[in-house]
This record gives sequence, C-alpha cells and structure tokens, in this order.
Amino acid sequence: MNVQQIVEAVLFASDAPLTAEEISRADEVLDEEQVEEAIQQLRAEYDDGARSFQLVELAEGHQILTRPEFAPYLERFDNVPRPTRLSGPALETLAIIAYRQPIGRLEMEYVRGVGVSGVVRTLQERNLIEVVGRAEGLGRPLLYGTTQHFLEHFGFRSLEDLPRPEELPILLRERIPLGLDDDAPEAEVSEPEELGGQAEMAFEPEDEVFDEDGAEETIP
Amino acid sequence: MDLTVTQRAPAGRTAERDDFFLVEIDRFQGPLDLLLHLIRTQDIDVFDIPISRITEQFLKAIKGLAATDLDGAGEFLEMAATLIRIKAQMLLPRPAEDEEEDPRAELVRRLLEYEQIREVTLRLRAAEADRGRRFGKGYVPPRRKRTALDAPLETTWDEVYEAALLVEMPPARRVDHRVTTRPVSMEEKAVLILSYLKKGTKIRFSELLVNFKERSHGVMTFLAGLELTRRRVLFLRQSRPFTELWLYRRDDANDDDAPPEDLVPEGGDA
Repeated sequence: MNVQQIVEAVLFASDAPLTAEEISRADEVLDEEQVEEAIQQLRAEYDDGARSFQLVELAEGHQILTRPEFAPYLERFDNVPRPTRLSGPALETLAIIAYRQPIGRLEMEYVRGVGVSGVVRTLQERNLIEVVGRAEGLGRPLLYGTTQHFLEHFGFRSLEDLPRPEELPILLRERIPLGLDDDAPEAEVSEPEELGGQAEMAFEPEDEVFDEDGAEETIP
Repeated sequence: MDLTVTQRAPAGRTAERDDFFLVEIDRFQGPLDLLLHLIRTQDIDVFDIPISRITEQFLKAIKGLAATDLDGAGEFLEMAATLIRIKAQMLLPRPAEDEEEDPRAELVRRLLEYEQIREVTLRLRAAEADRGRRFGKGYVPPRRKRTALDAPLETTWDEVYEAALLVEMPPARRVDHRVTTRPVSMEEKAVLILSYLKKGTKIRFSELLVNFKERSHGVMTFLAGLELTRRRVLFLRQSRPFTELWLYRRDDANDDDAPPEDLVPEGGDA
C-alpha cells in the first residue's frame, strides 16, 4: 500500500472535508507534506481519468464530491432531506456577517435597515454562524462569525474565497463622490474614498479587529 | 420583510410619469431596499440625491403601512424620519468653506454598503447553487430493506379472531406513584466514614458498604466521601477506573503528600 492509496481510502470513507493534517493521522509515518502531495496526484488522476467525481478543496480541507454535471441523475434520489436554500433575508444577513465578522446584531440591523433577530437565530440553528465573543461596552452584546459549515455550504475553501469588494460591479460607486466639486478630476470617479473609507473597510475580510468606537458611531 | 399592505397603482394611472413609487411595498427587504429602488429607477446620482423629491416619494410609498405591521412599519418610519432630518439640514445655510460633511453622506454610505451586500448576496446565492450540484458520500440513501410489511399477508380473519380469543387480557393494574423518603442521609454516611478513619488512616470504599445492600447507600456514601474531600477532611485515591476506591484521612503530614502520577485522583481535591 502506498501513501496515495491510504489517503484515497480516508477521503473515500469521509462524508466531510478533511485537512491534510487530519488525513495524516491514518498512519504514524505519514506527514502533512506527503498527504498534500498524494492529494495533488489523486486530484490529477481523477481529472484525467474522466471520473464522475473530483477531489475538491473545500472548507480548509479536501473532500471527494461528484462532478456537477451528474447532479440531474443524483437528484432523482430525492427522498433524502436536501439542504434547503436560504431565504433572501437570511443570505443578506449572512453576507454582512461574513464580511464584517465579528459583528453584533445592532450593526447588522444598521447595515440592513431591518431587524435581524429571527434570521440570526435561523442561521445559528443551521450552524452557519456562531457566537464568537462579546463586544466591550454597554450590555456586552454578542458577536457573531461564520462557521466551518458556512464554508462547506457555499463551497468556499476559506473566507478568502468570498468575492472581493473591488470585483463587485457596483453601479452606484461609479458616480462622482459626494463632497467633491463638479470639476473634480476624472480619476477620482471610481474611488469614493472621500466617504470616509468606511464603505470600503466594511468589506475587508481580514478586518479582524472589531473597532468598537467605529461601531458606536454608526449606530444612532 | 412581511408587510401585508400593498400600494397598488390605481387603474388608468399606471402610464403616468411618477408611478414608479406605486410599488408593492412587500417586495422590498426594508427601507434601504426601497430607497435603492427609487434611486435606481429614476437614474439618480447617488452622490447628489435630490433629498426633497426622494423623501416625498418615500413617504408616499409607505403611506398606510403603520396600521398593519408596527414592527415592519417602524423600520420604514425611522428611515422616513432620517430623510426628513437630512432634508431639514440641507435647508439650513452652510458657510461656503465649511469642512463639515454633507448631511447626506451617512445615508450615501449606507446605501453603497447595502448595495454591495445585495451584490454579495447574489454571489452567495450562486455559490450555494453550485455547491448544491455536487454530492458527497452518503447522499444517496441506503437501499430500503424489505420489511415484513412488504410480504403478502396470508392470514385469514378467522385466524386472527381465533388468536385474539386466546389472548388473555392482563389484569388492570393500578399504578400509584410512590413517594419515598430518603432512607439514608449523607450526614449518616459521613459519620460512618469518620468513625472508620478515626481507627485507621485509610479505608476501602467497599468496606463502607458491607451490610448495606441498597444502591442508595452506595450513592450516599460516595457523596459523603466527595463532601468530606471538599472540606479537606480526607482525599480519595483510585489507581485505575473501576478499581477499588480508597479513602485517606487527610492529616497535616499527608497534606502536601500529593498522590503519585499514576493514580487517578477522584473528587478533584486530591
């Protein structure tokens, strides 16, 4: 038995993504590097061999999943509870949490302009978000962040896979920034940094530090 | 947003220029969504919102909301108040060289951010659908076992009836719920333990149970042991799980005498 076979066996038997570290536990002599290498080989093998499945990088791990083109056949076995699609408000709230985590409920509500308590509960029940801490300040509100399952549900490898703000086609941003004179240089048009940079900042996934003062400011 | 009141365009007016705000309000996720709609459909420059016009349209669109859904209406009314406040601020004269922010700036920030969130939501929706077309292990359900229900029934009603006659009904039993007092107290057991430990420095747990058959004695003796451990009167030692438990008197001499590494301490204070 070679490394590749062992790795394949572990991946085959798993119904959730596994990290290289987790796979390497299959044998004392395995290290992560070997596993990673075996994974690359297996991936290439599956792709070249016209298999109906692929080795997919997912939620900071690897999982064997069927190729999308076989969905119509598999969907016929639809007597299993299928993962239901999220509602519009749920997705909207989840989007806010994903980009601004850790984030409290008041802040989510300010961004959406709508109450979120019901939606937050649903997202928590579905294990897409979790409480990750408490903010300083009045009432020490709970802060939420996305879970591993969130990555799995959307097929993301990590939070880095979230669409980056600069690649979003935002129609409104193409206007002249507020506060500039009409004869402002053309170059500034697509860079509305004059808005205090806050709209930009909000979409930095790496924005780890919860700026309490900033949060207070935005909540009337 | 679950707002039940809808603003419908009265027949015959639909062609008029200002009908864009005669929208079904429950189509919108909230006040920001409605504002975005008003701005987009009129091709308004978001960095120069005609606040007076938008406010008027917004108020018209939410007219009649308040009575039905206070929660939902509250969010729209709050936005209406914000719009009116901005409108008022715009009317106040500002010095030409004033460095102060445009009163609309915060609203614009929110709208831009909200629009981004809407865009991200679409991306998430697409990602979710893509992921939904891939399946992992365990998706296809296991083959259903043939159950007894599937086998054709070869019994006649007569047979069933006969069998039924043979069944003896169990005598009706009255089940009373019995409330019993605790036959044994923890204090009693603590006294017992201490009396043993007066004679010697240690005692087997099982020895304490000699002559007591009921389980409650064992439970109470154990609880008493834990309690005395907590009070630092004694400590418990057990070399391995499920082996004999020893109760040691805790003397001054014993106090610093931590149990050896291979012993599993019980009671948390050893």
